[in-house]
Amino acid sequence: MPTLDELKNFYDIELYPELSMIEELRIKARNKILISAAIIVPVALLVLVYIAKNGKGNGLFFVGIIAFFILAGIYHFATKEYIQNFKTGIIEKLVKFIDQNLAYSRANHIHQSDFSASKIFNQRVDRFNGDDYVKGKIGQTNLEFSEIHAKYITRDSKGRTREHTIFKGLFFIADFNKKFNGKTIVLPDTAERIFGQLGSMLQSMNKFRGQLVKLEDPEFERIFAVYGDDQIEARYILSTSLMKRISDFKKNTKRTIYLSFVGSKINIAVSCLKDLFEPRVFRTMLDFTPIKEYFEDLTMAVSIVEDLNLNTRIWTKE
Amino acid sequence: MSMGLIIIAGIGLFIVMLYNGLIGKKNQVENVFGTIDTLLKKRYDLIPNLVSTVQTYMQHERGTLTEITAMRAKAVSGNLSDDEKVDLDNKVSKMMGGIMVAVENYPDLKANQNFIQLQKTLNEIEEQISAARRAYNAAVTDFNNAVEMLPTSLMASMMNYKRKQVFEIAEKERQNVDVKSLFNK
Repeated sequence: MPTLDELKNFYDIELYPELSMIEELRIKARNKILISAAIIVPVALLVLVYIAKNGKGNGLFFVGIIAFFILAGIYHFATKEYIQNFKTGIIEKLVKFIDQNLAYSRANHIHQSDFSASKIFNQRVDRFNGDDYVKGKIGQTNLEFSEIHAKYITRDSKGRTREHTIFKGLFFIADFNKKFNGKTIVLPDTAERIFGQLGSMLQSMNKFRGQLVKLEDPEFERIFAVYGDDQIEARYILSTSLMKRISDFKKNTKRTIYLSFVGSKINIAVSCLKDLFEPRVFRTMLDFTPIKEYFEDLTMAVSIVEDLNLNTRIWTKE
Repeated sequence: MSMGLIIIAGIGLFIVMLYNGLIGKKNQVENVFGTIDTLLKKRYDLIPNLVSTVQTYMQHERGTLTEITAMRAKAVSGNLSDDEKVDLDNKVSKMMGGIMVAVENYPDLKANQNFIQLQKTLNEIEEQISAARRAYNAAVTDFNNAVEMLPTSLMASMMNYKRKQVFEIAEKERQNVDVKSLFNK
């Protein structure tokens, strides 16, 4: 994994010239948005004043909505070229810089079927999208990850729909180094943290997930709750050293993480509320700070292979 | 009258739940112990393979190889108590560890494809055995908690359930394997 100094060097030599060109696109996009807003907002206000004078109160709301959607549409089209250039110019270069064996694809994402097969989230998925897909091989371990946003939809009695987020963040899939047959799921332990002993009892009643697996590492147990269909296999997968490594990974990322071991793969979902790898529009990108942030998000995912020791192939699985 | 019936039925149900819970925990312990047994057998089955692969290379460890073969024969013969099983298993583990360390002196053997595959299988089984032992200890702890904590402890004393021992790593196993003494017998 490249160091921060190497990144700084790479930024100065490779990225900065590219960023300077992309910066022009950013300024063009920003100007388009500002000019459009300068026209649409006063027009909308005039319409509002007109409606208000004629006393049709509920028209106010719709004018606001229409103006908002027009602006959102303009924002989308104005920034499209800029974002595309940024991703192919900068993010792709960063990925290659981290490891030559990785490939980047801007518009692709982890398949919904793979997301569901991980069994981490049980809700029905109604909307599924994502981008920034990375795939490759580190040592002997195949890995892929992308940004994912999965949602489900509810309808109330009036037929209004509402979207709820199931998961938003980085979804990571890699080959696991040991052979196994069943499924083992590691979830953030909210019940035990809040309710203590009682929480542990509640967890064991959660039959829907499978058996509760109580592990002997107290730190790991405090952060996670483990469910599986085989008590021994769960411990075969979660060796004492892997538990330590997972706890450390969780501490370093400071984010909520979910893991599952299904079909000889390890799936890791790292929850993150903000959009990852997206460039700023209203502030300059000619700056090392955001680049460093993208680099750190990428290396967090790629370094999972090393952090969890997935390249140790001393078991029968090649 | 009906209120009394409901209370009696409630108490009855409660007792049945306590009883079944304890039985479940005891069976879980036995179940996992059975798995350890199976895994140990699986490892014993690998010993003849291991011996035949390494003996052409390992000239100085003939004695150890004969000894481990004899131990394996004793282990698979059956009629052993649980304590004897654990004891024999400890000895075999120690010897296997010794052989694996001694392999370092034989570069040809280390490069042998057959041996590499065997070593991986052994690693896998060792890891599974260790997982099964941890599962056993977890099941025993669960059982012991039920035997000692209220209200299940009352039921347990009536059923004559006693605490069970968890697997402990024997003191000698914790020390590093002394290969020299192992082969200079």
